[in-house]
Order: sequence, then C-alpha cells, then structure tokens
Amino acid sequence: MNCRECKEHLYEYLDRELTPAVAEEIRQHIAECPPCGENFDFEKVFLTFVRARCRAHGASPDLRRRILDELLDE
Amino acid sequence: MTPPLPPGSPPPSSPPPPPAAPSPAAEAEKRASFEREALIHLDSLYRVALRLTGNPAEADDLVQETMLKAYRAWHQFEKGTNAKGWLLTILRHAFINEYRRRTRHPETVDIDAIEPFSVFEEIQDDDPQGTFFDRIVDDEVLRAIDALPEQFRETVVLSDVEGMSYEEIARILEVPVGTVKSRLFRARRLLQQKLYEYAVGMGYIKGNAT
Repeated sequence: MNCRECKEHLYEYLDRELTPAVAEEIRQHIAECPPCGENFDFEKVFLTFVRARCRAHGASPDLRRRILDELLDE
Repeated sequence: MTPPLPPGSPPPSSPPPPPAAPSPAAEAEKRASFEREALIHLDSLYRVALRLTGNPAEADDLVQETMLKAYRAWHQFEKGTNAKGWLLTILRHAFINEYRRRTRHPETVDIDAIEPFSVFEEIQDDDPQGTFFDRIVDDEVLRAIDALPEQFRETVVLSDVEGMSYEEIARILEVPVGTVKSRLFRARRLLQQKLYEYAVGMGYIKGNAT
C-alpha cells in the first residue's frame, strides 16, 4: 500500500470501519512510514478532541422530568 | 373531529366503544421497558437536537416530541435492536418536518464545491501533534460545528459526538454508506480548517501567512 492509498482510508481506519485485512495493511504502512504515521496520529488527536469537547452537554434534569411526566399521562 | 351533520339527519347513534384499554400491568411494563431502553439515550438525543436546531429551548421541545412519538410507537420498535438509531431517526424526521423551517434558513451551500483542506499539511513542521487543539475551548468547537453546512453537521455529530458506525449513520440519514464516508471526510476537514483558522487568529499557532 502506498501513501496515497493509505491516506484515502485514513478515517475509515480510525473509525474501525475497514476489514481486518485492509486495516492490517494500513497498520504496516504507518509503522514503516513516519510521515503517514504522524498524519494518522494528528487525525486521531483531532477526533478525540472533538468528542471530548462535545460530550459534556446533556439533557437538563428539567427536560427529563417533563418527559417522564408526559409519559405518565399517556 | 366529527363533521357537522346535515340538517334532517337522524340523531347519531351511541359512539363506538373505546378500544380496549391495555391492562395496568401491560402499561407499566411498556413504561418500564421504554425507560430502560429509550430514555437512557436522552443525553444523545439532546446533543443531536441541540446541534440540529442551534437553540436549547427548541432542542428541549424537539426531544420531548421525539420521546412522545417514540413512546406511542414503542410497539413498532424491534426489541433487542438499536434503540438509539431508531430514536434518532424519529428525531431527525420531526426536525425536518416541523423545526427546520422555523429554526434555520434553508441551506444554499453546495457542499460538493467545498475543497478539502489539510490542516496537517499546514502545521506538520510546527505542531504535528496538534497541541494547539488543547487551547480551544468547548464553546468554540460547538460554534465551529454549528457553522458547518447541515449535511456535514449532522454527519459529524452522529459520528464524532455520538460514536455511531457508518452503517447506522447511513440508516438514520437515509443515504448510502459511501455518502456518509465522503461527507464525513469533507466535514471533518472543514471543521479542522475552521478550528485551525480560529487558533491562528487567536495566536495559539503560527499561521503560514503568505
């Protein structure tokens, strides 16, 4: 697998959406190719960062109560 | 609603008996299973609703309506399958049908015309590990997500915030898996670009000013 093919599958690899065989080819390529390895690490940092920044916000206790009350009336 | 009777009609016969009410035990069991399998996804529904509507009060209403619809349709939910995906599908339909027109203007962006930008190529010499991300606060990330075109925004939220698979996202958005893949690629690159430009503007990182 060359660098271009490897980068095409970058997100699918990080999202664990590839077949084990293709994922293995990528693993080998990035282990042997430092620039691709750095690129993959960077994208991984980015995805972890987005997730961490967005997870804190959830439904308010008030909304939960409103829904439970409404279900009781059904 | 009963239509008005034409003059001279015979008086209506007694109304039909109401459908047999489910037993209290069955109703309690329905509620318990709904709370167990559906209500646990409340936070996810809220996060997605907030990114779709862009407004906490609208998000509350959208989630409440979604839960009510889901409860009424609970007998249609295939037990043991993915309740989160099922709920998000209901939520998205409710959003499209009732909220979108009110909360956001129809989209005029041609997402296919957006050129993917590689932040990594910009910063690989200065900050290849992306440490500048650490300095960007939650609100700024949410603002950047909210500024994405809607088709990108919903894909990124389902994937990167809610951790759903391409297959699940494809089902919720009713598009092929290949479309999810390409949207996700371009959406992430655009989000990165916005955050990178913000970080450069704030002086968190040196931009390649040309």
